[in-house]
Amino acid sequence: MKSRLKDFFEVLGPSYRIIGPKIENGVVILAEIKYGDIPAGYRDSQKPGRYRLSPEKDSQVFSFSSGPDSFKRFLNPPLAELFHFHRFETGLGITSPPFSEKGGISETGLPICFMGIRACDLWALKLYDRIFPGGRVRDRTYESLRRNSLIIAFNCLYPSGNCFCLSTGTGPEVKDTFDVAVTELKDSFLLEEGSARGKEILGLLPLGHAGERQSLEKRERIETCKALFRKSIAADELPEIIFRNLDHPHWEDIARRDLECGNCTQVCPTCFCNTSYDFVYPGGISGEDKCNLELSGRRLRKWDSCFSRDFAQVHGGNFRLSRKARYRHWMAHKLAYMQDQFGLPGCVGCGRCITWCPAGIDITRELEALRPHS
Amino acid sequence: MKDTYDKSLPFAASIRWIKKETRDTLSFALRIEDEHIRKAYAFAPGQFNMLSVPGVGEAPISISSGPSDDILLHTIRVAGDVTTALSRFEAGNVLGVRGPFGNGWPMERAEMKRLLIIAGGLGIAPLRPVLRYMLKNEKPNASPAEIPPLIYGARSPRNILFRDEFRSYAAVFDVHITVDKADPQEHWSGNIGLMPPLLDKISLSSKAPDTTAFICGPEVMMRCLIEELLARGLRGENIFLSMERNMNCGMGTCGHCMFAQKFVCKDGPVFRYQDIAALLAVKEL
Repeated sequence: MKSRLKDFFEVLGPSYRIIGPKIENGVVILAEIKYGDIPAGYRDSQKPGRYRLSPEKDSQVFSFSSGPDSFKRFLNPPLAELFHFHRFETGLGITSPPFSEKGGISETGLPICFMGIRACDLWALKLYDRIFPGGRVRDRTYESLRRNSLIIAFNCLYPSGNCFCLSTGTGPEVKDTFDVAVTELKDSFLLEEGSARGKEILGLLPLGHAGERQSLEKRERIETCKALFRKSIAADELPEIIFRNLDHPHWEDIARRDLECGNCTQVCPTCFCNTSYDFVYPGGISGEDKCNLELSGRRLRKWDSCFSRDFAQVHGGNFRLSRKARYRHWMAHKLAYMQDQFGLPGCVGCGRCITWCPAGIDITRELEALRPHS
Repeated sequence: MKDTYDKSLPFAASIRWIKKETRDTLSFALRIEDEHIRKAYAFAPGQFNMLSVPGVGEAPISISSGPSDDILLHTIRVAGDVTTALSRFEAGNVLGVRGPFGNGWPMERAEMKRLLIIAGGLGIAPLRPVLRYMLKNEKPNASPAEIPPLIYGARSPRNILFRDEFRSYAAVFDVHITVDKADPQEHWSGNIGLMPPLLDKISLSSKAPDTTAFICGPEVMMRCLIEELLARGLRGENIFLSMERNMNCGMGTCGHCMFAQKFVCKDGPVFRYQDIAALLAVKEL
């Protein structure tokens, strides 16, 4: 029965780029996949600074939890072209990249289907929908990639050792922002529509009828999952713990362990900071006056990290000179500032920053250390 | 309000003239090339543009012209890659502009309330539109008590920006200038020393609670002056300051200009002191 998941791929394949989980270098990443790529039956073991994947001999398909990747690599690419420029002495030509009305970056591109996105990442996606198109200025890269994207969400049944979405209220069950929600049951998958398009797609699949029994099994499985969580965060006391403790000596303690590699910002599904810079075509430079060359190139935007030492650099100095300040900025942005900025939690409890931190810094424990203990 | 042109893409602006203000500071008068954008472009005093030298990069620069001036003026200190590249430009050359961005000064207060303007160094650049605006809308026969004080501090006499304009500002403002130091050959007969003592030269006393202050300058200068103003009876809710950060996108999506939870590019650069007082007190936010 579970191999019927393949039907999804057959129905969606011609009209979407299906992005889903697959194994690469011993890690579950996200990529354009075919049905056979799904790492069925794999289980991951995640601890602070540790990730191991092993095949599990049970009949479960989605027994693995989130790897380092998330939707953000596809909707907010690590490197994106903002525009092409051609500069000459008395003029300037600017051309924006070809954005597609259909979705995707080029005219021939297909919209993206996210297959197997989890509850935590759906909250991050909701946040992204406010960060990028939410301002007064449109972000055309995000808007175009997000346009017509299809969300096939999966309820998490096996939290990793670093997951804490139960305490942030962002999982493990998907509640909204999806077209189709999937719950893996013992012998089948339960499919539920979340939008008109989701309903349309379900209509194209040869499905059996789901009744009370399946709903009950779904509830039981989600409850079982909730009992498996090992980590939690004091979400009710946020953002106050952060704002009251900006001068806490514990920041200094974290700074001593922090390597400033920026891994946490790369794997975090809500981190969005970037820097744009100009890339000049080496062949395109001409002109005799070296102060005023004719040249062309592209302005690119690449992911950056608030752990970069020059991230808050201005000509007169650096606003966050110390490592302590840079770590505090990151953690405060996650746990306090984002809620204020976008009205949604900046930490979705996915635990990626804990798993992928080479020093094993655990955001839940660091917050605990800032809490006043009676 | 939706913009009628795309602020994520630079538009071309030609340099009409360049004026050397001080040893390392230049003013660029720009004219927007595209007619549609030129008509649609409107800014509020205190806003900034992203100036682009394609191939080098982009820098946030406050707008220094008055809202009704026929050119767009930017006064730039040559410091980084972009400003150095700009310093090599000549009249007739074209650069890229995105904007305007940010919120600007609460100009309704420039008309309604008693006003005090304080600028330090290059901090006069985002305040010049306010000065230009008030000069243009000068109220005739203002009683001496209603003349708003304008306090300006520079490193030395030759670092005073828009020096030739202060004479005209004196018609509308009670102008006080001080310099950190003056070489004998600079023939400076004005004030020498820090800015706070100048506050004693203006009479605030009974007017203090309903005086609005607009301040721009280095952060330490602003913090120190705000303390003095509060001690003299000004209210935190009536003090506005323009913050400097390294805006990279101008649209709140790059994260560079974050000052705690504030995006200086879109929530600022002008903030009401009361709203950020607690944040200013913490180092390195």
